Amino acid sequence: MFRALYTAASGMLAQQLDLDTIANNLANASTVGFRETRLQFQDLVYQEMVVPGSAATQQTTVSAGLQIGLGTRAASSEVLQLQGEYDNTGNSLDLAIQGAGFFQVKLTNGEIAYTRAGSFQLDQSGNVVTANGNPLEPAIAIPTAATAISVGTDGTVTVTMPGQTSALQVGVIQLATFPNPGGLLSNGSGLFTQTTASGDPIVGTPGGSEGLGTLQQGMLEDSNVNVVDEFIQMIVTQRAYESNSKVVQAADQMLQDVNNMSH
Amino acid sequence: MDSGFYAACTGLLAKTDALDLTAGNMANLSTTGYKAQTEFYSSLEASMGNRRLSPLNQAVNDYGVLGGAAVDMRTGEFQKTGNDLDLAVEGAGFFVVQTKAGVRYTRNGNFHTDAAGRLLTPTGDQVLGEQGPVQLPSGAITISPDGTISQQGAVVAQLKLVTFKPGTALAAEGNSYYQAPDKSELPADDPRVSQGMLERSNLDPVSATIGLITIQRQAQLLEQALSIFHSVFNSAPGQELSRVS
Repeated sequence: MFRALYTAASGMLAQQLDLDTIANNLANASTVGFRETRLQFQDLVYQEMVVPGSAATQQTTVSAGLQIGLGTRAASSEVLQLQGEYDNTGNSLDLAIQGAGFFQVKLTNGEIAYTRAGSFQLDQSGNVVTANGNPLEPAIAIPTAATAISVGTDGTVTVTMPGQTSALQVGVIQLATFPNPGGLLSNGSGLFTQTTASGDPIVGTPGGSEGLGTLQQGMLEDSNVNVVDEFIQMIVTQRAYESNSKVVQAADQMLQDVNNMSH
Repeated sequence: MDSGFYAACTGLLAKTDALDLTAGNMANLSTTGYKAQTEFYSSLEASMGNRRLSPLNQAVNDYGVLGGAAVDMRTGEFQKTGNDLDLAVEGAGFFVVQTKAGVRYTRNGNFHTDAAGRLLTPTGDQVLGEQGPVQLPSGAITISPDGTISQQGAVVAQLKLVTFKPGTALAAEGNSYYQAPDKSELPADDPRVSQGMLERSNLDPVSATIGLITIQRQAQLLEQALSIFHSVFNSAPGQELSRVS
């Protein structure tokens, strides 16, 4: 019965962590390029009371053992890579990826981070940067005199210069994807970095055979958090927490009853 | 009279074990690929020799003990994750995993790869295919319902999916792993693997809660019985005997 108390406590802790994750997802329901996180749980060790397949008599063995599970633990937080909805903004540097790819941006420490948030801007020297000022990798500079910027679905960036009729190509946006995008590390600000679990990035131009997807200019990808799903998940979490607290109550009650037995 | 006392005592112990089992199930209400454990009771034969007992004697002396826990193999609900390396098996079928301690079986398909492209479980053990550990090339992969892993139409590997004869004693080990008796695995005859999905715990919270209430009330009944036995024990020598004289 004391086992039940600790087992239920592990269940309650797991549901608390799950609720924390749901809270973060809901808080970011309007964050451009946000990716929903979902906790994955695993069962803890089992206490063997009767080993399955052990001898019941000289001729027979028990068909199923008696193993008492000792609870659960949060094993990993997985980043869900489902597509978010698109928002038409009309800004020429707002880019949405239709497919599995990520934009590559250079952090101040020189490392490459990956993001789905395509709300780009220009810095004072005309470089295309994220809302936080991290430049795109490979860098793309827009001439200050440019009157219009156009980004093709294949990532080709062209500008129109005053007094010229033909467009001038200034660069090509490259995208990256991962063998296991669920294993990426969330760094905040919509940025992800690679881990051994995610694998090495596969870099290419949009629209290629790598499954990176194509670019849509003038669009932004909303958060992929589905508020209805989160609410349902929240109800499930709350009820699971309650179920575990019922186990604590039952164990407590049974112990109390034993203590109150007349003697 | 005293055999009834011990029967109630044994029953109460069985109920506390059953409570621990239910607690383990409830705690894993959100565990990916978890299979609920259902308790079953067996009666302990009081007669050890070949001596036949009268029906009354048998009814009084066969104590109910918690016989064991069977793994409920029903499929849990599927949850869409959209990640290519998240796999769920519809119907019977287990993924085969090579751990340091030997071959283990799991329904938790929350896989990932390492730098070398090896397909790993969340615990970091290699997932086995028909030709040994699965090795994936870089780039997007497709996994068809029969477990064939392909990249742009070219077959890369075949996931090994197995099932067991009904009644095979699977031992849960934690980390969503199961251990099976040697040579008991059979190839899954019609596996259906869903890519981008994970299987949720198959525990039914309603029946688990009802089970919890049942255990609690049965324990109360047994405690009541023990209390009655106790007061009878107390009163018997003290009151009844003195009247005889």
